[in-house]
Amino acid sequence: MMARNLFIPITLGLVIAFLIGPFLIIVAASFSAGETLAFPPQGFSLRWIAKVFTVESFRDSFFMSLFLAIGGTLAALILGIPASYALSRYKLPGAETIRTIVSAPIIVPGIIVGLSLLRYIVVPFQVGITLALFLAHTALILPYAVRVVSASLGNLRSDIEEAAVLLGSSRLGAFFRVVLPNIRGGIMSAFILGFVTSFNQVPVSLFLSGPGVRTLPVDMIAYMEIVFDPSVAALSALLAFMSIGIVFIAERFLGFSRYV
Amino acid sequence: MNKVMLASGVALMLSTGAAHTAFAQEKTLTISVYALAQDEYKKIVYTPFEEKCGCKLVVETGNSVERIAKMDANKANPVVDMAVVSMADALSAARAGLVDKIDTSKIASYDKLYDIAKDPNGDGMSIGYTFYATSIAYRSDKMKIDSWADLLKPEYAAHIAWPNVTTNQGPPSLYMLGLALGKDTPDLAAPIEAVGAAKDDIVTFYEKSSQLVQLMQQEEIWAAPIGRFTWAPFAKLDMPIAWATPKEGQTGGMNVMIVTKNSKNRDLALQFMDFWLSADIQSKLAEALIDSPANSEAKVSEAAAKNLTYGEATAKSLKLIPSAVSLDNRAGWLKSWNEKVGQ
Amino acid sequence: MFQNRAEALALALPAALFAAAVFIVPVVILLSDGFRAPGGGWTISAYTDFFSSSLNQAVFLRTLKLGALVTIVAAVIGYAAAFAIVSLEPGAKGKVTGLIVLPLMISPVARTYAWIVILGRTGIVNQAFQALGISEAPLRILFSETAIFIGLLQLFLPLMIISLISALENMPKDAIPAARVLGANWFQVFWKVILPLTKEGVVIGGTLVFTGCLTAYITPAILGGSKVLMLETLLYQQVSVSNNFVAASVIALILIVMSFAANILLKRVATARNKTTRNTKGTA
Repeated sequence: MMARNLFIPITLGLVIAFLIGPFLIIVAASFSAGETLAFPPQGFSLRWIAKVFTVESFRDSFFMSLFLAIGGTLAALILGIPASYALSRYKLPGAETIRTIVSAPIIVPGIIVGLSLLRYIVVPFQVGITLALFLAHTALILPYAVRVVSASLGNLRSDIEEAAVLLGSSRLGAFFRVVLPNIRGGIMSAFILGFVTSFNQVPVSLFLSGPGVRTLPVDMIAYMEIVFDPSVAALSALLAFMSIGIVFIAERFLGFSRYV
Repeated sequence: MNKVMLASGVALMLSTGAAHTAFAQEKTLTISVYALAQDEYKKIVYTPFEEKCGCKLVVETGNSVERIAKMDANKANPVVDMAVVSMADALSAARAGLVDKIDTSKIASYDKLYDIAKDPNGDGMSIGYTFYATSIAYRSDKMKIDSWADLLKPEYAAHIAWPNVTTNQGPPSLYMLGLALGKDTPDLAAPIEAVGAAKDDIVTFYEKSSQLVQLMQQEEIWAAPIGRFTWAPFAKLDMPIAWATPKEGQTGGMNVMIVTKNSKNRDLALQFMDFWLSADIQSKLAEALIDSPANSEAKVSEAAAKNLTYGEATAKSLKLIPSAVSLDNRAGWLKSWNEKVGQ
Repeated sequence: MFQNRAEALALALPAALFAAAVFIVPVVILLSDGFRAPGGGWTISAYTDFFSSSLNQAVFLRTLKLGALVTIVAAVIGYAAAFAIVSLEPGAKGKVTGLIVLPLMISPVARTYAWIVILGRTGIVNQAFQALGISEAPLRILFSETAIFIGLLQLFLPLMIISLISALENMPKDAIPAARVLGANWFQVFWKVILPLTKEGVVIGGTLVFTGCLTAYITPAILGGSKVLMLETLLYQQVSVSNNFVAASVIALILIVMSFAANILLKRVATARNKTTRNTKGTA
């Protein structure tokens, strides 16, 4: 029995140290006074955190990433909620095919998605890079949106809306008055998952960059090709705290982890 | 809830759309440059030029090969108006029909340039704006470098990074190694073979020179061939790091400006190039330790000159690979590199 | 269940058409490039060319090997961790699960860069090894398969743990005590009771981890570099350095086929185990 009691804390301690350790080192490195990433950090200073805010391209690409994460997730939800509803509430011919099509973007390597969009949509149709990024991120988030919203619809008994329809409500009315309020948590969870996925996405965006248009993670990689100072660590730490904050609030108010 | 989201999403999209139309009304010049030191370039070159011309500069950054590949993809409807690339890539762009002859009569500073910068490829399609030496940065307390071949000595090889053949520093470094080995054929067979024999020892075949500062600081490496333009951060490290002067000499490269074929902003592009090549701007870029001037009238302080590759005599002494040799052999180098080193 | 087909299609088609137009069609065209003969017509010569190069063979095998290794190790650690988590009090369970999920919220760029500091010759791993007397001289870990393995494992382990937690939670509570009472040792309990009952979790987790390893770009690029190429980094090199779109298309299809194959294989393995268990039960 003794062995089992030790097994749990030791296993969890090691696993968590392995998973979280690198992040702690990034956080520590961002407070370093030295010129390069180092652990233990050389001295303490806030200069690298301050520097993050002075690099102009970071600001532009941050807003680009923010726009893609919010806009792309909203678009994916607008497409995904009706599709999830149809898949879980209707006898739909070819339901499996539709499910496969909308979830395909998860299986294909992102780098290929970016490349094929560049070659066969951006170049031949003269589509702007911003629009291409928006389309790509929407497609990328769609599988998550459908999965999470479907799960949340699955938890909701369908006889409630059927009852509403029997009582004379239109189906659309029943959806907005009965279903939507009940899957609000699922939708918010899908939103957060989509946001984080899009915001951290690199491979899809790698080929989709143009003059003045770049997502933040790609910009960070480009920056590191030239300068290798702790400001990228500082930026990563700031972004991580932003993501953690969002997830924390979501968990607090919506029970986010039930849907993921 | 959903309506609010929808409304804010639409507002977001509309506002970015509006920003785009506002853009279009201004005169814009799109340039494509190396990602190096963009903050300084902005201060010294871009913003002053924008004020002077009353136009807007849009900047694309990336390495030379990648950006040429993009220009090729957008050939029918060019996005970029002018670009700065390596000498060899300028020739490859010229051969692919991506660039036009440069009307030097519109560039007032042209006559003041060093002769080697006026028309590096001899086709009138590019102008050099800076050149740099490539040699070896090394820990003087750990090793002694007198020749390019010293890097591959068994006691050193496990502590060096060598530039990948696909980088701008790769082929010149191999060329110098070939000279050191006494076998300098254009196919670089002997030096590639030599690097291949030491491949298990060599720490990494680097693609991004910025990483080297980190590796040097961590003592992962003691030495690496680098371009002089990346020297400044090494000098700042708290370690004895020296710039080698091998007996075979130094190699290097020249970066050049090109103008895109069918660019809609040709005159603006030439104005911009003239501005960048002027003695004033070239002096300022040199003082900031970014680019060695190609303009003979640029004034450079002694301190800056020490950190840069300065002067026409130095420029002439660099052992450069001719662009045509480089282009004609590139595929072959990559092939033998992949066979001997890549796996 | 509603029966109105037209209504259902109207709801589901926009999403399907969107995914098809922006995603499936361009990707399929890209993949078809790998089969186009230079003079028109179709050929598989690009594939035979690709596999005839010994560099490409090595890269392919390395990608397969690392993907499989990471998946297996993630499953082993994942079971241990998921077990430990499931046996915690409800309050602690939520907090620990939160810590496990946390890395997924952090940019892979940052996570990967931390390893450069940790795994270096003067990094903490080597310092610890030397202090403990495990090794005399600092080990070279960076720019090796080991470095990529560690980076990928850290990146994708959370996906495996989460999949296994939900699988273990759905397992009947009395299954393990019952088997123990019947005299099974822990190995038998795991092999004959737990694994069959949680196979869906392993299949989902395994597919996520393996596919993740195939599609990760940053980790092999930073921790392996050009000295230790993987299919993903080779693909990027083919496009941006060699401008070779045919080779890129070949690699793309190989990656997609590999992830599908892994999914099918994992499902097979899981059901096969299940069958043997049922058989033993039948004979007992």
